[in-house]
Amino acid sequence: MATVVTVTSGKGGVGKTTSSAALAAGLAQAGHKTVVIDFDVGLRNLDLIMGVERRVVFDFVNVIQGEATLNQALISDKRIENLFILAASQTKDKDALTEDGVEKIIEDLEAMGFEYIVCDSPAGIERGATMALHFADHAVIVTNPEVSSVRDSDRILGILQSKSKRAKEGGKVIEHLLITRYDPSRVEKGEMLSMDDVCDILAVKLIGLIPESKAVLKASNTGVPVIMDTESDAGVAYSDAVARFLGEERPLKFLKPKKQGLLQRMLGGND
Amino acid sequence: MNEKPTADPRIRANRYSVMTLEWPLVSGGLREWLEAQCAKAPLLMREIAVVLKPAEAHSDSEIIEAVEIIGNLGIGLIGLTGNESHKPLADRLELSWISSKNVTAVDDILEQGSQQMAMIVEGPIRSGVQIYAKDRDLIVFGQVSEGAEIMADGHVMIYGRVRGRIAAGVSGRHDAEIFCQTFEPELLSIAGIYVGYEQIPEGFWSATVRIRLDSSSNALIYTTL
Repeated sequence: MATVVTVTSGKGGVGKTTSSAALAAGLAQAGHKTVVIDFDVGLRNLDLIMGVERRVVFDFVNVIQGEATLNQALISDKRIENLFILAASQTKDKDALTEDGVEKIIEDLEAMGFEYIVCDSPAGIERGATMALHFADHAVIVTNPEVSSVRDSDRILGILQSKSKRAKEGGKVIEHLLITRYDPSRVEKGEMLSMDDVCDILAVKLIGLIPESKAVLKASNTGVPVIMDTESDAGVAYSDAVARFLGEERPLKFLKPKKQGLLQRMLGGND
Repeated sequence: MNEKPTADPRIRANRYSVMTLEWPLVSGGLREWLEAQCAKAPLLMREIAVVLKPAEAHSDSEIIEAVEIIGNLGIGLIGLTGNESHKPLADRLELSWISSKNVTAVDDILEQGSQQMAMIVEGPIRSGVQIYAKDRDLIVFGQVSEGAEIMADGHVMIYGRVRGRIAAGVSGRHDAEIFCQTFEPELLSIAGIYVGYEQIPEGFWSATVRIRLDSSSNALIYTTL
């Protein structure tokens, strides 16, 4: 049985694609055959974050419309075994996604022996987002510690539990919370919601706390999922999140601000 | 502001008279008979609602033909009745199936209406979700997020934290009350009397609260529990 994991948030720019790439890479590194699908038709980004933008020949929409086979469209990652990418179309729009088409692809991926199907949802609550969450077994809600992101996450959770296939069949999608761009020093100053505030408002089990990190931008620009940067704080935090997703217990890190040296403080460094 | 300007749609049991066109197996031509009736009272035949009751032994093709005849004469056919064996045909013809069982079913629903149990919903009720318990009380088990709306024609009880909107006595019952474990709403209303969070008196925020409406002053009365 393949497990469909949808990474969603409602709000844009909170780190869905970065998190999808990290989660998929982490699951594959743990030995699970994993595919990550970009549902952001028309504004594809996942291929860039995964560093495969030049290898996209056929995409998700081509497969739905029967112009290519799944095998032709799946791009295998050259760094991590068991990891595959299905890119979104850049030329079509989100109306190209049909429920039957998406269902067929998920069934075919299951038949090919994939254990995890990670769906990178676009922002918003329109077609692309609802298609990405329709077949979800698990949902990873990506939230920044600020009020508008938290409210949008709450909204998307409501949609998830009313519009998804599981919900319509009387079940429940399993929810996981991933807080990204967390800056403990700003939390201490009261400029940012704390982890406890976010968890209290959303009432969803936390699987990871990703600190605000320069490593994320660097990873995006170089096309390497940040989880592979094992030296970075964000990479470590994502590794922990994937382990927790797979049921392991790990203590949360990066809850306290980093101590800064006198010189660093004088120079105004805020790394 | 306090009065709702519009009424919500609702379902009520009403009885209308409908004519049954009984069509025995051995009968003179249906077409001729109906044409004669239409000639006698053309307006009446075009205004009445008719249910066709064929005999059990009538074949599907005969019934289809009869339905066509009735339609061509401009008589308002709304359904089929009679023997259950014709029910699938009614579905195929997109006609209602009227059975004597339907009538008792309606009566059952009416009787249940007077003793409906409270609606129980498990939270969290998320932002953007609306819950309305029609003609009964609402019990929410879990939190209600900011931007969610929970409403009932009766009382509203919440075992959890409320950050959203609560409305009790939506269709005008002044004796409806609100009970809330952790009270932090955006907006609350009883029988159309609305209060924004800024108007909530001090000392009740985040508390466990009971709220009722004093009909004489049209003010909400808060009590901590």
